[in-house]
Amino acid sequence: MALLTFKNVGISGLTAAVPGQVIDNYSHDQFFTRDEIREVVDKIGVKQRRFAGPDVCSSDLCFAAAEELINGMSIDRREIDLLIFISQTPDYRMPATSVLLQERLGLPSGTITLDINLGCSAFIYGLTVAYSMIIAGGVRKVLLLDGETRSKVYSQKDRKTAFLFGDAGVAALIQRDDRFGDSWFSLNSDGSRADLIKVPAGGYRKMSSGETVTERVVDEYGNIRSEENGYMNGADVFNFVIREVPRDFEKLIDYSGVDVNAIDYFVFHQANSYINNYLAKKLKLPEVKIPSTIEKFGNTSSVSIPLTIVSELKDLLTGHKRIILSGFGVGLTWGTGIVDLEDCYIGNLVEI
Amino acid sequence: MKEKLVLALAEALEIDASMINTEDKFRDYETYSSLTELSVLAMLDSDFGIEIEMKEFNKYLTVQNLIDLVSNK
Repeated sequence: MALLTFKNVGISGLTAAVPGQVIDNYSHDQFFTRDEIREVVDKIGVKQRRFAGPDVCSSDLCFAAAEELINGMSIDRREIDLLIFISQTPDYRMPATSVLLQERLGLPSGTITLDINLGCSAFIYGLTVAYSMIIAGGVRKVLLLDGETRSKVYSQKDRKTAFLFGDAGVAALIQRDDRFGDSWFSLNSDGSRADLIKVPAGGYRKMSSGETVTERVVDEYGNIRSEENGYMNGADVFNFVIREVPRDFEKLIDYSGVDVNAIDYFVFHQANSYINNYLAKKLKLPEVKIPSTIEKFGNTSSVSIPLTIVSELKDLLTGHKRIILSGFGVGLTWGTGIVDLEDCYIGNLVEI
Repeated sequence: MKEKLVLALAEALEIDASMINTEDKFRDYETYSSLTELSVLAMLDSDFGIEIEMKEFNKYLTVQNLIDLVSNK
């Protein structure tokens, strides 16, 4: 049972970038009728998403967010000792994208660079890695980059996933400061459920071939995808999430001893509005404390938690705020974090 | 329990409770889909405290099966 406590380290700034291309879901009708679309979209609550163009990678979105952060906060690039890049849509299989970003951002060669390959829970995992490295000493500032282009992963001809996912990237600055009080994290994994959300081919277990990129009808509903497209078993994921996420949430509240009523905001991974509304109801949390971006940005995987903070809480984070973060998804992995924000810098949303 | 389940199932599937017979195969209702299935799973969790794996849930075929599930809890 991985429960973690940190002292005097926290997020001092956060920025986000999204592609300029807006996809309006109700009229995204190349492959499905408007009636079919309405049924899906009403349930998942994703009205718009952003799609990166063919030349735009997760790293490009993160780069734009990072420049906004570095310039906005006047960060000395020489003080960034660790750059973490979180994504499951990297530039290449090798080298690691974090190394490419070290060069692009003009960081010194003494910078530690590290990619983290996790999905919807990953921002919370990334925070714990950043916090740990700072506590270990020697690392002054961490640039935590988190980007996804999930629009490129899922088939637009599979209605189970065609209307859900969007693209975005964020940059966070993590540093030590006595102003930050305690923070707590719970992290979990269950590899027995790896098949519930998966891209079956294109890795080294099943390498890319003509066959793996061929689109096929995959079910009685006529959904079409290739083995290199993502697949999701929504019902099993739903069952898992409504059971385990509230459990982990309560576990961390107990462990931390924090009064849940004293939490300023609850920021959940934006999975779909049906799951998110259900979780809020089950946990009996006040709606006004739960910011949401599922309607305008869709599910951006690991990016959705920090993107929601930038987009919805920009002018609400002055002074001391305590927030809970909850992420869950592919792996399956899930995690909860309770973090303090102290006059956290939030940049304007960047469009590229 | 039977009445409570039938009403909750009707609400989840957005149909009239009077249309539901205990011997019906609930997946055959016209409004049953991968989307309304989530409402059924949510209903079992929130109204009856039943956490179920899909492998298990898929063994339940009729409305009576669901009544037995919530009654035996």
